[in-house]
Parts: sequence; structure tokens; C-alpha cells
Amino acid sequence: MSEQATNLVYHDRASLEERLLNLLATGWIFLLLLVLVAVFYALRPEQFGSAYNIQQLAINAAIFMVLAVGQTYVIITAGIDLSVGSVLVFASVVSAKVMLFLSGEPGTTFGTTEAGWGIVAVGVLTALAAGAAWGALNGALVAYARIPALIVTLGTMGMALGFAQIITGGVDVRAMPERMVTHIGSGELLGIPVLVLIATATVIVAGIMLHLTRFGLHVYAVGSNEEAGRRSGIRVHRRLVAVYTLCGMTAGLAAVMANARFGTTTIGGHVMANLTTISAVVLGGTSLFGGKGSVFGTVVGVFIPIILLNGFVILGIPPFWQTVAMGAVLIAAVWVDQLKRRLRKRS
Amino acid sequence: MKLRLILAAKLVGAFALAVPVQAQADNSVALVLGTKGSPFYQALQCGAMEKAEELGLALNVSAPELFAADVQVPVVNAVTAASPDVAVIVPTDMQALIPPMRELAERGTQVMTVDQTIADTSFLETQILTDNEAGGAMAAQALSELLGGEGKVLVITQPPGSLAQDARTAGFEAELENHPGLEYLGAQYQRNDPQRAAEIVTSTISAHPDLAGIFATNDQGAIGAITGLRQADAAGRVKMVAYDASSAQVSALKNGELQALIAQNPKQQGQVAMELAAQLIAGESLPEITLTEIVTITSDEPEKAERYEYIADCM
Repeated sequence: MSEQATNLVYHDRASLEERLLNLLATGWIFLLLLVLVAVFYALRPEQFGSAYNIQQLAINAAIFMVLAVGQTYVIITAGIDLSVGSVLVFASVVSAKVMLFLSGEPGTTFGTTEAGWGIVAVGVLTALAAGAAWGALNGALVAYARIPALIVTLGTMGMALGFAQIITGGVDVRAMPERMVTHIGSGELLGIPVLVLIATATVIVAGIMLHLTRFGLHVYAVGSNEEAGRRSGIRVHRRLVAVYTLCGMTAGLAAVMANARFGTTTIGGHVMANLTTISAVVLGGTSLFGGKGSVFGTVVGVFIPIILLNGFVILGIPPFWQTVAMGAVLIAAVWVDQLKRRLRKRS
Repeated sequence: MKLRLILAAKLVGAFALAVPVQAQADNSVALVLGTKGSPFYQALQCGAMEKAEELGLALNVSAPELFAADVQVPVVNAVTAASPDVAVIVPTDMQALIPPMRELAERGTQVMTVDQTIADTSFLETQILTDNEAGGAMAAQALSELLGGEGKVLVITQPPGSLAQDARTAGFEAELENHPGLEYLGAQYQRNDPQRAAEIVTSTISAHPDLAGIFATNDQGAIGAITGLRQADAAGRVKMVAYDASSAQVSALKNGELQALIAQNPKQQGQVAMELAAQLIAGESLPEITLTEIVTITSDEPEKAERYEYIADCM
């Protein structure tokens, strides 16, 4: 009886320490973000600190933010999703084709169409569904066929891009609904870009779902110990499928945002989206081994490379240095994660 | 609370002071390349840097990680925030780059494109281009000459969507009409991936052992095609004409694996860009399009090849 009690106390203390360490991990990367902002601001206040630049930073972060939120869920379950960029391309192509067909100008591959909000809504739903379908396939293969996530998503990464190229013949669909481009892509609501609002809403919803609901708790449980999760009655397979589907859906949403922003599909682009989001998630303190992580950390992780790039361009630092700096920051982030682990073991 | 108010007031003050200043060093020019680490763009950069120094321009060069619109747009946004007098941009997509570049122009920077261009040119000061269609036609003529006007020919190019590459292929195909002895096997796509280009060549040779000639529309395709020919033991027998003059291509030309190059002059493009930028700053207006040269270099002209080789001699 008394032994149980001490165990309990010990556990409580450990979790407190753990929490502090966790805070340190996300804390230092947040600190780094603040330092970067302060340094760039101090060096070029009227350029880096301009309202215009801050708005652009937020817009540039928006698409990655949505993708990285999905990736956070997947990585917390100790999985990985390499297919996000290709799924984005696939969803954008399918959605653009559907909107073009519905607006009755299937021949056009240039300019904009007069499609109304109804057609745009169908396009959005198509993109979400296309993304969710790839996600569900990823999840099913990981959970039921028990193929490692790295392999599954490497496979679907190629398949999704391949199908996108088959559907379009490799030529970008360049006719987007005018309304979507002006009101979503470059539109503002209450002075805030719509793309940023979408990203913010996604982050808030995903954050609440992960940190405050039973589903979120299950996601952590599956990631930290799958077997323990199963024995305590969590339907692990279903949860995994749900998480990957969610990640696919965020890629679908990101596809809508990309279509609206660029005014064209970008088949040749988004090649680095998977690595960018994975490094953002890891920078944000989410463990690649699963069971730990937060949406807030990911938000910070997304901004680091974007601010680095922006600051370096404004300062006129040679382009290669940005690549070097980004790599160094990533390694430092994981190193701190390891230190944390060692400290925990010692305690 | 009071302290906070003072701080806030100071911050607001700083902003208010900062806004009207907006000044960078005078004669500031930004150059945004198509991608990092490409010999072509680095040579262009060298030409620009040389000329900028001569003309007293403050040049800042930046480049995206990949030749892709989604990666380049943030770079253009950052240049917009820096608000230079003139921006010279290699747009990586003819449509996706329109909104950020228009914004750049609207915020008072004079914008021009080099090497590539965009679909809406209304806000551009000028476009520095080469005639890619003419280049493609030159390639067809060179190949026809090498083959004595007969044989099967293959094109290796990028997937459709890149204006320049599409124009080179179109020019080549149009010129083929004038050479009825050449049998066209069509275009195959590599995605800036030499490995793919090599596979295309080896499997085409399997299907058509009498393949006589190849036209590769860029350096990556050419490097891969040469590898494929070597692998199939057909280097030198199958005649090759390639666009561009990267170091690998020039050495292949010298050792007989490649028979002719259609070379641009990136250094000249960079120099012209800076000359035009200086003219813009001086308030002069420019023609809508400024063409820079393209030349055919055959294997008996090694010195010419060296002169046109894409080398970043300033780094």
C-alpha cells in the first residue's frame, strides 16, 4: 500500500519535471524565433518590421501551417507522412479540374473563370475529399497492412503525383475561378488575409482537438505505447486511420489555399513540402518517436525557416547560407530533445 | 502600466519614424535567380555583379531553393519588403508569379524579367529574353547537317509548362518539316533528372537500334543522355545536339560525345540586366523586349565553346 503511494508521488514529480523540460524544449525554439525577429528588426527596422512584410510572412506561413498541423498528429502517433506535398498537388489538380468542368469552360487552360461561390464550394469539398481519400489509404495501409509509414507514404507520394500528372498530362490547370483567387487567395477580412485566417482557424481547431478531447488523448496514447493503448481499450487501428485521414484532409485544404494563392495548380512545386513540415514539427518539440508534441510548437517551428529566408533576403546574405543555417537549427533542435531525454532518464 | 504605455508610445514612435524613411542605399537593385547552385544562373549573377560594380549599383542577389513557384514567391515577397529601386527576376512560373511581381511593381519598384517571363507583362519595364524557338530551329538544322539529313531523331525535354523549354521543342519540331529525311520519334520528358534522361535514351535505343540523333533541350537532359549513350555504347555514333553550354556539356563536346551546342550567354544577360537597370534609375524608358544572343557551337570550335561556357568565374 505504502509502496503504491510512493510510486504515485514519484510519478507526479516525474511528470512535473517532464513538463518543465518540455517547456524548455519548446521554450528555447520560441526564444530562437524571438531572437531572429529581434535581430532582423534591429538591422532593417523599416523593411523587416513593415506592416507589409509582417503580412507577407504570415501569408507565406499559412499553407505550411495547415500542412504541418496534420503532420503533427501523424508524428505524435510515431508515424510520418511523406506524401503531403504530392497529395496537395493531386487535390489541387482534381479540384481545379472539377471547378473548370462545372463552370463550363473545360477547354480553357489559361486565365480565370466566372464560376460562382457554389462551384468554388464544390471545388473545396472535392479537394478535401481527395486529400482525405489519400490519407485514409495511408492510414489503412499503416494500421491494417502493417507496412511502415515511411514506406507507405513514400509510395503514395509517387502515386499521388503520378495520378496528378496523368489527369493533367503534366500541364498545370491555369484557369481558377476569379472569385476564389481575389477573395480567398489575395482577399482580406477585417484587414487580415483570408489565407492567414484559414490557417489560424485550422491551428485553433486542431489544437483544441489534440489537447482537450478524448480523441487527442488517444492520439498521444497510440504514439507513446500502441500495445498499452490497445489493452486499455483504444481502437488503435481506427485511430491511426483517422489521424492519417485528418492529415490528408489538411493537405486537401492546403491545396485549396495554394490554388487560390497562385491562381494556377503548381504540379512542379511542393516537392519539399514533406521535409519542410516534418522539420517544422520536429523544431516545435514533437518527438519523432511519438507520444509527445504540441500544435503550438509546430506553429513556432513553421515560422523559423520562413523568417530566416525573409531576413536573409532582406539583408542580402548570399542564398546558400540560408540552407546552412536552417540545417544547423534543425540539428540543434533535435539535440536539445536528446538532452531532455537523457535528463529524464537520470531523474 | 505606465512603463508599458511609455514603451508602447516609443514603439509607435519608432514605427512612425521608420515608415516615411523607407530608404535603402540609392541605386539599389535586386536580382532573384531561378534557383540556387545552377551554373547558368551563377554565370548570370557574375555578369550582373561585374556590371553593377562598374555602374555603381548596389546589387543584392537571392535565389529560391528549387526552380518552383511556391518556393520562389516568399523570396519575391522579401525583396518587395526591401523595396529596391529596380528588381530583376527570373520568374519560375508564368502565372503564379504574376500577383507577387505586380505587388512589387505597385509598391514602387521597377520590375523586369530575365531568362524567363510571365503571362501578364503590363507592369514590367522590359523582358530580357532569348529567342528559344529560333534556338530550337538552330538545333534541328545542326542535327540535320550532322546526319546528312537522314535518320531517326529524339527530343529530350522538360514536361510541358515551361515556356522556354516548350518553345525550344516547338522550334525544333517546326524546323523538322523542312528536313523530310529525319524521322521524328517524339519528345520524352525528364524532370531535370539526368538519371531519367539516361533511362529514356537506353530504352529508346532498345526500341530503335538505328536511332541517329538526339536533341536535349537543357543541360540536365544532355548530361543524362550522354550517360545513356555511353551505357549503350553508342556515344559518338548517335549524334547529339544540346541546348546550353555547362562545363560538362563543353567537355563532352571536346571529347566527341556531343556534336553541337546551342548556347546562350548568361553573363551577357546579367550585364544587360544591370545596364537596363541603370537606365531605368536614370529615368529612361525601355523597349518591351530585349533579346540577347544565342549561338551554335560545333565540335570543331573548342575556343568558342570555352568562351561561351557557363562558368561562375566570380565565386
